[in-house]
Amino acid sequence: MDREEIERLIARVALKDRAAFEELYDRVSAKLFGVCLRVLNKRAAAEDAMQDTFVKIWNNADRYQANGLSPMTWLITIARNTSIDRLRARKKGHQDIDTPGMELVASGPSPEQSAIAASEASKLTGCLDALDADRGAAIRGAYLDGETYADLAERFKVPLNTMRTWLRRGLISLRECMSQ
Amino acid sequence: MTDLPPPTPEEESEFLAAEYALGLSEGENLTEARDRARRDSLFAGAVAAWQERLVAMTDAIAPVAPPARVRKALIKSLFPNIRVPFLQRLWVWQGLTFASLAMLAVLAMPMLRPDAPTIAGPIYGTQLTGTIDDLQVYAVLDPSRGGIAVTRTAGAPPSGRVLELWALLPDAAPVSLGLVPDDATHLKLPPEIAAQIDNLTLAISDEPPGGAPEGAPTGEIRAVGTVEEI
Repeated sequence: MDREEIERLIARVALKDRAAFEELYDRVSAKLFGVCLRVLNKRAAAEDAMQDTFVKIWNNADRYQANGLSPMTWLITIARNTSIDRLRARKKGHQDIDTPGMELVASGPSPEQSAIAASEASKLTGCLDALDADRGAAIRGAYLDGETYADLAERFKVPLNTMRTWLRRGLISLRECMSQ
Repeated sequence: MTDLPPPTPEEESEFLAAEYALGLSEGENLTEARDRARRDSLFAGAVAAWQERLVAMTDAIAPVAPPARVRKALIKSLFPNIRVPFLQRLWVWQGLTFASLAMLAVLAMPMLRPDAPTIAGPIYGTQLTGTIDDLQVYAVLDPSRGGIAVTRTAGAPPSGRVLELWALLPDAAPVSLGLVPDDATHLKLPPEIAAQIDNLTLAISDEPPGGAPEGAPTGEIRAVGTVEEI
């Protein structure tokens, strides 16, 4: 998918260009629906999450440029966060995950920082696999299945604080591996 | 595990950003992360970098074509048909009550039609708002006479800048409708724009004094509104 093309469409959506919005939908909805389905695992819920995702895209496209994310990262992260919010919605006391570009202040150094992160991204899978198996599984569980620290502590049968320390170390190892 | 030194403030900040991007922040951590993401550009950059790293986990997810009904339902919810009964489409105005826009239309009428006490053709209007600041502008359009009454009810241009009104039509470059120097400004509505009023969106950008030099917006888009029949 051509990055500039998607950026151009998001910029036009920011100006409330309906034709551009429909074109953007046609270009990216299959990828976003795949992500919603992966997280929610149920078609009806995934359809609802995707509709919510595109409403957020329509309402917040004008905030996209400020956050320095690549366009597909922005779109996929909205779909992922919306799906996980829906997955967790039944749990008591759930606080919604914030969506990028709606909550992030315009970040000065971020475009370069994000560009570096994007170039590192191809290494993610290899680096996740290089972590201790449990740590890699915990990071995947948090990102793709919306598992909380409490869920993870239960799955790995460790105290909550140990889980947090583990996962934090895993994240630092991950960042180091990806930047090499 | 206990013999490790406690994290430095930088490390703690990096953990917070990573956990926030993963959706693991809870309670006070979530409040702090959310607050810093809104105010602290370095922290926001760290969150964005983590989002960029983590999104690669979706690379292996195959696209799945969604059913056509999702697209239909989405379009219907975002762009309700203008032909639906009058009262049902009032929600389109969101923050704006119909009464206040109708009142503006009445107030704008002497500006638009000084010599005509009766309304000749349909009147259109919109409320322009943005997310940069509290700028709020109402525009009332009279296509049959070719006039636009622009009323600024809140906000102001950044210092040293002026506000410029643009007509946006699908698949066309923005067309300048003129500067909006005062709280109430009367501008001309060109016939070629009036002819496409059903697809018209208005936007306001900030520009250097005298307006955009090349005839295309150069500053930030500060407010946008979709034109509808009143």
